[in-house]
Amino acid sequence: MITLQTFFQEARAGRLTGIRCRQCSELAIPPKEFCPSCHQRAWEAVPLAGHGTIASFTVIRVAPRGRTAEAPYAVAVVKLAEGVSLLGRVIDIPFDSLRIGLPVRFRPLLTADRTVVGFGPA
Amino acid sequence: MRRVGVIGVGVTPFGKHERSSAELFAEAAAEALDDAGLAPTAIQAIYFGNVVGGPAERQLHMGPQAASILGLPWVPTTRFETACATSHAAFRHAVMEVASGTSDVVLVGGAERVLDIPTETATELFAYASDAAFEQPAGLTVPGVFALIARAHMAKYGTTEEQMAHVAVKNHRHGALNPKAQFRKEITLEQVLASPRIADPLKLYDCCPFTDGGAAVLLASEEAARRSRRPVWVLASAAASDAMCLHDKKDLTRALATERAAQTAYRQAGLGPKDVDVVELHDCFTIAEIVATEGLGLFEPGTGGTAAEKGWTSLGGKLPVNPSGGLKAKGHPIGATGAAQIAEIVTQLRGEAGPRQVEGARIGLAHTLGGNTATVLVSLFGLE
Repeated sequence: MITLQTFFQEARAGRLTGIRCRQCSELAIPPKEFCPSCHQRAWEAVPLAGHGTIASFTVIRVAPRGRTAEAPYAVAVVKLAEGVSLLGRVIDIPFDSLRIGLPVRFRPLLTADRTVVGFGPA
Repeated sequence: MRRVGVIGVGVTPFGKHERSSAELFAEAAAEALDDAGLAPTAIQAIYFGNVVGGPAERQLHMGPQAASILGLPWVPTTRFETACATSHAAFRHAVMEVASGTSDVVLVGGAERVLDIPTETATELFAYASDAAFEQPAGLTVPGVFALIARAHMAKYGTTEEQMAHVAVKNHRHGALNPKAQFRKEITLEQVLASPRIADPLKLYDCCPFTDGGAAVLLASEEAARRSRRPVWVLASAAASDAMCLHDKKDLTRALATERAAQTAYRQAGLGPKDVDVVELHDCFTIAEIVATEGLGLFEPGTGGTAAEKGWTSLGGKLPVNPSGGLKAKGHPIGATGAAQIAEIVTQLRGEAGPRQVEGARIGLAHTLGGNTATVLVSLFGLE
């Protein structure tokens, strides 16, 4: 079973992990207890390559408390090559070159106590 | 199940207040009791909505606090939280309490108080309604959620920033007619388009404000309602959900929970979108109104922007949406919003909305959305 904790431990080491239903082959981002498609409980961990394209993006200019020094920054929903989507912070891509369909690659964003999903240039 | 009527509504002015959420709810409740011509002792249960009172006011357990302020400390109370859909979720449960025969008169509503905390703190607290593992750490804000939806809608349907701006202009025009609205001034398309960027492509005037306020609705069984001045009947009250995380949603351009809740509500009432005369829907951002009009079946998918641009959703248009000014101009005290929308629909159906009255309205719809479009409530109301 892939929990949030194990997902982010793996992500910290640069490895992205999805879960695939052995019953119906549905691919999902953890954590999920039952398959939302066939409702079985037969997940197996599968590595995700981390390649994808931007499905939508925004540049956040008014940030929450604790992140105001980071603003402006971009956040995107990325459609991964395996077919599942993942939301994360966009890193090292100029705002004016962001567009839907732009290829990007998973890159974890690390702080001392936190791992954030990030996407940088492909 | 018994038929349920709305017999009284009350809404505080929306804007900045110096009172606590529980006080604001009690003020709205007093107005609802006055409207219904009932004494407080008629209330047999209280369903109360509040979202960020824990961190914002250091106050949990606001239900009994509100009951105590109302002088009814013995009345059972329950607090609800479904992000911005909070008091509409409370409403649905209150309807079930009356419909089931458990109580004859129930008070439902909510309140929120956030204008005394800094914007970046309120932005953080509201973002708690997004996922704490994936979305908050990425720095996603609530405007950011709807910016991602807007960008996807623009790419799929050609929806424009000008069309979104038309929603803001229209709702401000309506809000100027509402004495309880937070913003009672009209704005221009140019002002919206030139306003500071919040989360691209959304600008300041695409966003509803932070608001303090309370709203209350009194429900009664059919027998009790028939003794009241002018009951408005609850024809349906439906809830639906969708995946919590944006990345788990099948289509960013659609609010599946809105579609599901609307289908259930229409089925319960034996009505369809064409029967609706007036709509109060969740325009937390201009794009949210466009997506909601499509999800409720009022306009075809992809044409919500056109509907705003052509004036179809204006007062005097083919289907007026948000005659109160909506969340955009009336304001959005998140725990009170659903009950305030319902109060507006009831006022409209009674023909008591003054200069913002939708002439001849007989069927009204209220739609409230919570979080990343993960919770939606849709209720339908009608006259005899």
